[in-house]
Amino acid sequence: MAVEIIVMVKQVPDSQEVVIDPVTMNLNRSMTRNVTNRADENALEAALSIKDKIGANVTVISMGPPQAETTMIECLARGADRAILVSDRFFGGADTYPTGLTLAATISKIGKYDIIIAGEESSDSSTGHVGPGVAEFLDIDQITYASNVDYEDGYVIGERELEDGTEVVKVPTPVLVTVLLNSNDPRRQTLRRKIDAIRKGFEVWNIEKVGLPPEWVGVRGSPTIVRRMRSIKEKERAGKKYDLTNLGELVKELYEKKVLKMEEE
Amino acid sequence: MSEFDAIVVGAGPAGSSAAIKMASQGLKVLLVERGEPPGSKNVSGGILWGKDLDAILPDWEKTAPLERYVERKVTSFLTKDSEISIDFKTKKFEQTKTGYSVLRTKFDQYLAKRASQAGAMVVSGITVDGLAIKDGRVIGVINEGDTITGDCVILAEGPNPRVAMAAGLRSKPEDTDVAIGVKQVYKLSEAAINERFNLRQNSGFAGEYVLSYLENDIFAGGFLYTNKDTISMGVVINIETLRRDGRTHSYDIMEQFVQHPFISRLVEGGTLQEYSAHFVYEGGYESLAKPYGEGYMLVGDTAGFSFSNGMILQGMNYAISSGIMAGETVIEAKKDNDFSEKSLSRYMDRLEKSPAILDKKNFAGMNKVVWSSLVHRAVPEMLESSLGMMLYENGEPKKHLTDIMMKSISSTELTKKDLIMQGYRLMRRM
Repeated sequence: MAVEIIVMVKQVPDSQEVVIDPVTMNLNRSMTRNVTNRADENALEAALSIKDKIGANVTVISMGPPQAETTMIECLARGADRAILVSDRFFGGADTYPTGLTLAATISKIGKYDIIIAGEESSDSSTGHVGPGVAEFLDIDQITYASNVDYEDGYVIGERELEDGTEVVKVPTPVLVTVLLNSNDPRRQTLRRKIDAIRKGFEVWNIEKVGLPPEWVGVRGSPTIVRRMRSIKEKERAGKKYDLTNLGELVKELYEKKVLKMEEE
Repeated sequence: MSEFDAIVVGAGPAGSSAAIKMASQGLKVLLVERGEPPGSKNVSGGILWGKDLDAILPDWEKTAPLERYVERKVTSFLTKDSEISIDFKTKKFEQTKTGYSVLRTKFDQYLAKRASQAGAMVVSGITVDGLAIKDGRVIGVINEGDTITGDCVILAEGPNPRVAMAAGLRSKPEDTDVAIGVKQVYKLSEAAINERFNLRQNSGFAGEYVLSYLENDIFAGGFLYTNKDTISMGVVINIETLRRDGRTHSYDIMEQFVQHPFISRLVEGGTLQEYSAHFVYEGGYESLAKPYGEGYMLVGDTAGFSFSNGMILQGMNYAISSGIMAGETVIEAKKDNDFSEKSLSRYMDRLEKSPAILDKKNFAGMNKVVWSSLVHRAVPEMLESSLGMMLYENGEPKKHLTDIMMKSISSTELTKKDLIMQGYRLMRRM
């Protein structure tokens, strides 16, 4: 029996282009390009390296709106065997609790799994809750913040970078692993795989298919209440230019503004 | 048996137009683009003369992301202290607009989407590594070691066509055939743009400039176009003179343009949103590559289809029309199931009757005249000093126009003979 690996991914707004709506204080996602969360690309790469070594089946799952389609195709084009987008309006507005629950329910529905891999956190909310949450809902062991993941005869070996050294843990499957951002070099998508992925498509699971009651998921199933959001104003630069041949003037001005201090004798 | 009837490399205006044409006739088309999404790697000044789109997208003026239509067109000489312009505003094109400012990230994405809706398979985020060639025939494209086969490959890679050059289908452009384009996009309010440029809601300004104030004998042109709530502006720098100088950077020239007293007040208070740079192909008729062969065609900038004469700078229109013509040629070739060089030469027959080739042919040698010290130095200096004398009162007795002109000419570095020679050449080429 082939080892079954499930990779959890999320589509996020490109962090370099994120704009906060000044009125609602929400992220304005309509303006930005959507990309696959970069740590999740590392999670997929970790799964694909295990597949290269032992020939596993890699299934990618994601909870998100229909436009996450591009992420599903991209994961297939990198080498995943199957992709499931869990998408339904009932799932909208979920915080990390029902998100973990929904993904755990999806994984239970898939049935057999040996290793679940996710990125350490998403770049748009940076909680790091969802991976560990899924492990708790499924009641399995977890290795968090791994810098390297390997598989050997029913065990996952994870390396964790700690302040005073590297910890290597060996855990019997089934196990959930979250991997560090930039912990590996994700392989490129290929044209051949992308053509096949577009032709074959991916699965979309709605709430009936996942099998959870509507009141447990989405905004209704979310215990978090956001009290207030505050945006930080970027300080505008004066835009003043200095002539580098006349450094004395610059030094004098910095001194007067108390940026520079005369050293006490 | 090939997997696709046609594979198009590059989803810019040329590639997407070819794909739309072919896919809407039921052909199996693959459109591959390295940018994700399409348009994210593409740069142009930003005026689309889109009449050619009528043939493939009759509704384009209603559905495409167009910014403003061109109501006011300005051609200027900028000297250190002055701006001398022809400022042409017209209501004539209010109904039949055809000229619009566009932002390529949005516009190219729109065209690629239309190609997908027409039935083409659009694959973005993938770079084609090379062409698959068998017995001297292009049979498909290669990516990461896999060959994807197509009866015909259309190369629409833009002005720096890596794949076409690697396969020897086009030579590396000479310094004299390319310029460096640097572009910035500034965000301003719609109201501020309308007020500064004397515009109404949808009408727009398109300015092209000769930057005659540049030091070290560098030749460059500038452009400034209004979008809804942004301004696209940039410089196009002659590589030969930039290289000869060797000390000035392209971004210095961009910066000097933005800082010019009559330009800076147009973008004052705007926030810089985008910064990009790109090749601009400016080769003349004599340096056009053969745009077709066994199993392949070149379109748009890859084939060298662009036009500049100092007053106008165009590319997207030729990209679209050449893409459509290549598409039509594939449709015919498919009927006969013949993708040989001879069959695809029908593309050349079409091109030779179209502006893509005719404009180059009729204005051969234009490039040399446009990038000359006459246009970039003597004329602006002469105009500046004679207009200064004619239009401003300085308490001295008035002079005749001919005296003023003669005096101005003598203040330039050119001799009278040079001026007459070069002036004659310019008039003839234009």
